[in-house]
Amino acid sequence: MEHIRVVVHIGVLYLFYYAGVWIENTFNMMIPGSIIGMLLLLCCFYLKIFRTKYVEKGVNLLLSHMPLLFLPVTAGVITYFHIFTGSGLWLVFIAFVSTLIVMIVSGWTAQFIVNRRGSNE
Amino acid sequence: MNDWLIAIMAVAGTILVYVSGRYFYSRYPQPFTLPIVTGTLVIVLFLVFTNVSYPTYMIGGQWIEHLLGPAVVALAMPLYKQRDMLKKYFFPLTTAVAVGSSVGLLSGYFPVRWLQIDDMLIASVLPKSVTTPVAMDVSDSIGGNPSLAAIFVMVAGIGGVVTAPYLFKWCGIANDLARGIASGTASHAIGTAKALGNSEREGAASSVAMTLSALLVSVIVPSLVIILF
Repeated sequence: MEHIRVVVHIGVLYLFYYAGVWIENTFNMMIPGSIIGMLLLLCCFYLKIFRTKYVEKGVNLLLSHMPLLFLPVTAGVITYFHIFTGSGLWLVFIAFVSTLIVMIVSGWTAQFIVNRRGSNE
Repeated sequence: MNDWLIAIMAVAGTILVYVSGRYFYSRYPQPFTLPIVTGTLVIVLFLVFTNVSYPTYMIGGQWIEHLLGPAVVALAMPLYKQRDMLKKYFFPLTTAVAVGSSVGLLSGYFPVRWLQIDDMLIASVLPKSVTTPVAMDVSDSIGGNPSLAAIFVMVAGIGGVVTAPYLFKWCGIANDLARGIASGTASHAIGTAKALGNSEREGAASSVAMTLSALLVSVIVPSLVIILF
């Protein structure tokens, strides 16, 4: 019974995914279909059309094993080894430094707003 | 060999590599021993040494990859479950994520442009701060390569969690909410896992920030590309 529930829940997530892909293609949108599907599901939760327990088992399985799902894609780096010799290493460095900047800037922004609001209360 | 057999072997092999990777990580939990790092390494080495081509492996691999679509849809649930946090801290969350994501896009875009690296690579680096499945979809839709995008996402995730404790100390980011938001915005799921280890509130903030930044980036980037490229 438990297994069937997991499969059905993943099936429901697929429905939202394909609905999102359909919207993306039909309206020629630039937002990925998967994200549109996610927004649809979120709207359904908020509007109480849909309860989280209808997808919960599938969600938990997919999210807890997410790394497995993208292993086949990350292994595709094998076809791009040549990029990581020479100038490609700069890309890794840039991605790293940019991450540090994001960390500091978003942390400061959040802390500034939280503290200011705290002193007003 | 027929395709079905290859597919079953590829799927079973990938699951085996993943399960072993998880076990290894549970014994030696370090950012560099995350299953995604060791797993990628093992599969790449396997393909190199056995001379199996990547397209051959993907005959089976694509069945696993296919589940990424519904996995992105599934991200709606953690966001909805944290709706109280989203409501209570709506302004700091959205502002910090918006500022952080924009800075992330610009600080990723311009240096790469100055180095005159081609558009395909820029499109693969741009979504580095968001969770892997979304980054892959975004880079794909703007002409990048999902595999490369996933590598830069790993750099952002691991690079972020390794340096975060020092950054927070040196830059005086002491508030747990701010720390969580920073981890989620810069280092997505890897940052969120780390934040969850610190406190539940920090983890919740990070989880919400991660999903918001994924949403924002996937909406902004495709339109930004029309202007930048």
